[in-house]
Amino acid sequence: MAGPKSSSKPSTASSETYVAVSTLWKSYLDQTPDRLKFIDAFLAFTVLSGVLQFVYCVLVTNFPFNAFLAGFASSVGQFVLTASLRAQVNPENRSEFKEVSPERAFADFALGSIVLHFFVFNFLG
Amino acid sequence: MVWQFSWLLLAATVQAASLSLQSPRFTISTPDATQLRSDTLSLTEKPEPLTLGPTDTLKLTFQITESDEGKGVQPHQTFLRFYDKASGEEGIQPVRVTPGGKAKFELNMVRPPASIPPTTHNPLEVSLILGSFVHAPAQYDLFDLYLPASQTPAEHPDEASFHVLPAIKHTFRPEQKSPPQFVSAVFAATVLSPWLVLIGLWSKIGVKVPNLFSLSIIPFTALLGAFEVLLVWYWVDLKLGQVLLYGGILAIPTVFAGKQALYATGEWRAGRK
Repeated sequence: MAGPKSSSKPSTASSETYVAVSTLWKSYLDQTPDRLKFIDAFLAFTVLSGVLQFVYCVLVTNFPFNAFLAGFASSVGQFVLTASLRAQVNPENRSEFKEVSPERAFADFALGSIVLHFFVFNFLG
Repeated sequence: MVWQFSWLLLAATVQAASLSLQSPRFTISTPDATQLRSDTLSLTEKPEPLTLGPTDTLKLTFQITESDEGKGVQPHQTFLRFYDKASGEEGIQPVRVTPGGKAKFELNMVRPPASIPPTTHNPLEVSLILGSFVHAPAQYDLFDLYLPASQTPAEHPDEASFHVLPAIKHTFRPEQKSPPQFVSAVFAATVLSPWLVLIGLWSKIGVKVPNLFSLSIIPFTALLGAFEVLLVWYWVDLKLGQVLLYGGILAIPTVFAGKQALYATGEWRAGRK
């Protein structure tokens, strides 16, 4: 994304919004650890993947409905698991999860993913 | 001795006395008392069949006597039997007889008794049945009677339920079809495209994994990969029980490998800090 515009003309609401969003994006890029960005990229991947499958289901067909359910559920489920992993390994949240080490969080993530994938393959038909 | 004698006497009277019908007569009249037909009945020969209109009245009179003495008697049972030969339906109507043996029966078609059987265009055979403890029974075929056809019986509320239902025909939705191959291919590519995004983002972020191939990490990674392979195998071939068995076996080394790997990771993290 482009850098923030100079704030000499704060006349319209849309430019204010633009400034706010670009500031947010910049601070995200600057302050977020690379490991969390790595997880965020995976989150974006699952969201995109789920949305595209849903679009296919709506626009074209839901014909192998079980396959659609499996694919969509895997996207949603993986997103939830990854989001909770991200929340637990985020150093900013250390005070929230005192008893949960990042390793423990990753073990939970791995176990949860295996169970999720078991159900997904079960549904795949 | 006396009892035996009386029984003999009774038997003798049964043998001797029989019932007979005197002056049987019928009259058909309209509601305004006009006589349409009136005649005596011959017991040996049936008269012309009688016909009753929907408002006509049939009157039947006779006297029952003992054949020997000509004295009127009241038999214990006196019935008129209406019998439809075609349908086999019959109706029995008791007739009141005075102690003097006189009897009068009226059949008013405006209010026909319930004992009349359902009628069609066929005649009813009307006969008189006399029963007695002390006389020989008697039956007289009186005449044939045409009555207006009875109404069809009212339909029972549940009547519709007692018929053979039409055969059940199952209709199935048409078989669902896969979209054309081109559309399928395009959307398959579209749905797979996030992988490119993911790889692009990851390469841009450039997280380094220096310990991925260290001896304490690689077994855990490999066992997690083995789980995924097992699940793909499940999709392709295996049964549920087999997957649970193999998964259970696979879980044991995975737990130990994971514990070791994550312990090592924790050490690195602590050491780095």
